[in-house]
Amino acid sequence: MIVEETLVAELKDKHTQAKAFEVLVNAYKERLYWHIRRIVLDHDDADDVLQNTFIKVYRNIDGFKGESKLYSWMYRIATNESLTFLNQKSKKLGITNQELQETLVENLESDVYFEGDAIQLKLQKALATLPEKQKLVFTMKYFQEMKYEEISEILETSVGGLKASYHLAVKKIESYLTGAD
Amino acid sequence: MKKNHDNKFKTPEGYFESFNERLMARLADEEASQSSSIPKNDGFAVPDGYFENVYSSVQKRMDGKGTKVIALKSYRAFYYAAAAIAALFVLSLAWNWSNPTQLGFEDLASTDITAYLENNDLGLSSYEIAEIVDLEEVTILDIVENQLEEDVILDYLDENVEEIEDLNLEYDEIQ
Repeated sequence: MIVEETLVAELKDKHTQAKAFEVLVNAYKERLYWHIRRIVLDHDDADDVLQNTFIKVYRNIDGFKGESKLYSWMYRIATNESLTFLNQKSKKLGITNQELQETLVENLESDVYFEGDAIQLKLQKALATLPEKQKLVFTMKYFQEMKYEEISEILETSVGGLKASYHLAVKKIESYLTGAD
Repeated sequence: MKKNHDNKFKTPEGYFESFNERLMARLADEEASQSSSIPKNDGFAVPDGYFENVYSSVQKRMDGKGTKVIALKSYRAFYYAAAAIAALFVLSLAWNWSNPTQLGFEDLASTDITAYLENNDLGLSSYEIAEIVDLEEVTILDIVENQLEEDVILDYLDENVEEIEDLNLEYDEIQ
């Protein structure tokens, strides 16, 4: 198990940062990838955002004051990078964020890295209808099995607010999945 | 052990001993049935061996050898370059349309520059722009397009401030 304080100190030290960065990337790459992938949906986009996230972490580690956990800070950067990426993409395409979400889900049908069946595709369609915050809370809780306290630190929202968002998201998704096509 | 002489009911043997276990099982069942319509796997996959190569991909991008190079240290130059391009673009239009009087950067309408920056993708996120713009150096005049006329300010205060004391003005400022 990695001791965060030690890793952060090594990342800030010019003599040890290269090795520490490798340790950091290898320790968090999968968790951050899946977090990003569930926001941007496409593998290549997720890879792009993941790399940018790690580079940003590396460049800004001196600004990390240890007020939150390192992984919370990295998740926050990953979330911001993902949402910024989507905003830029919708702007480039000249469509709204909602239209982009629908396009991304449509693209999943021909995506070689999406192996979901009809139900899983419908789940993505349901998620695309949710407000951004509800979608984030749902995926972090349901798929990444994070605790409310952890999500609270990353999204800077109260636990009570997160529980309400999650509950609403579950109801909406269930209603979408069980409703008529 | 105290006996309950008034209670004639009986429970199956070991009922209370196994109560917790049965309760937890039922809760788990109910939880499972509640979320049964939502699949637990979302169907995403990654190319074979993808995670093994993440570090080397990040390393390549940092060294400038990756496919999508992001020059993290050159935001400022990029920002000025974009402003310069915007200036040249608007200046060239102005040159073609009007008489050839000498035009400078100050002749650009700020709305043209704003529109250019908004409509053209600079590849910079608001997050990145925030990193290079020192907010401490920004004054109200950088945001407000025109100098506020005194009577405009007074009209605003007249319409929006109920109690002059709320403004906490010094006596000589009210004169």
